[in-house]
Amino acid sequence: MRKVWFILICSSLIVLCLKNPEECISAMMRAGQNALQLGLKLCGIYAIWLGFLGIVDKSKLSEKIASLLSPVVDFLFGKNLNQETKKFLAMNLSTNILGIGNASTPLGIKAMQGLDKQNNSEIASTAMIMLLVVSATSLQLLPTTIVGLRASLGSTSSSDIILPSIITTVLTTLLGITLVKVISKLKMQKFSLKKCEKVVKK
Amino acid sequence: MTISAFVVPILLITLLIYASIKKVNCYSSFVDGAKSAINLSFDIFPFLVAIFLAVELFRVCGLAEMLAQFLSPVFEFVGIPKELSNLVMIRPFSGSASLAICEEIFETFGPDSYVSRCASVIVGSSETVFYIATIYFSKTKAKKLLYAIPIALLCTIVGAIFSCWICKVI
Repeated sequence: MRKVWFILICSSLIVLCLKNPEECISAMMRAGQNALQLGLKLCGIYAIWLGFLGIVDKSKLSEKIASLLSPVVDFLFGKNLNQETKKFLAMNLSTNILGIGNASTPLGIKAMQGLDKQNNSEIASTAMIMLLVVSATSLQLLPTTIVGLRASLGSTSSSDIILPSIITTVLTTLLGITLVKVISKLKMQKFSLKKCEKVVKK
Repeated sequence: MTISAFVVPILLITLLIYASIKKVNCYSSFVDGAKSAINLSFDIFPFLVAIFLAVELFRVCGLAEMLAQFLSPVFEFVGIPKELSNLVMIRPFSGSASLAICEEIFETFGPDSYVSRCASVIVGSSETVFYIATIYFSKTKAKKLLYAIPIALLCTIVGAIFSCWICKVI
């Protein structure tokens, strides 16, 4: 992430210097203001969802969802997770599937923190990578925003993109999960091979 | 559209009824939950600024368009129409920018054209990878994400290619 950020900023600034340096400061200020605006908006949105999630939590529904989804969670993120993290992961997955992206983000952050505590290292664990990939390939089943936009611009069949979207999103999510699984397996093998070599050398 | 509008309200009604059967104080649990939103948004704000700065500069300086133009033959080769290369480029970075591009495409080609349908499926089936990566990892000790972002991006591209293909079929 830091590499991507560094390259983006540097290359953009260099190009800006060559093309129109006047734009630079106004663009940066605009970015800051936009970020604050979005931050405030998100704060309001998160407050609503976290409020309802508070009720879900107090009524012990989250434990029910967690135990319902526990085979999925176990498969994706490994078995030795604590109850709290498991709960957040299950809730994150279910809100993702329902397409309430704004509700799943705070849950995702909390789940990530839980995984991070168990991992306790500078390098992300496989479970953390899995969580990112699953969220980033968006398992959402109802792309409401885009359907609304189509309808507002006079589409005659605004919702006929839902089915292709679902197929695509399921496919990409499956692809992501497989890739993470395969790569982590390969890494494990390499790791154990190295260990074996060391033992042999000794 | 009509069905999806019902999902959230019905879920919430079920939740409230279930909670009141379980004798949960809905009001105070709601307030307690909502309280944590302030801290959360405080914590993610610096990361938002960082990603917004990078995206805005990247767009303003024209690099995004240049890269899109440069890559459009490649995209076309794998089946993504060249009108969409800009969208595919910006999609991992910014949700609002990609929606704006989408709107532009809808207006120029008409929302029911092949290109617009592809654009909708691309946006509907993907996420803003970089945004999610920054926000999700904003409070963690782990900062080295290894192969997480490459895989997420690869999935996004494959998704885009597949979107254009499936729009042809369906």
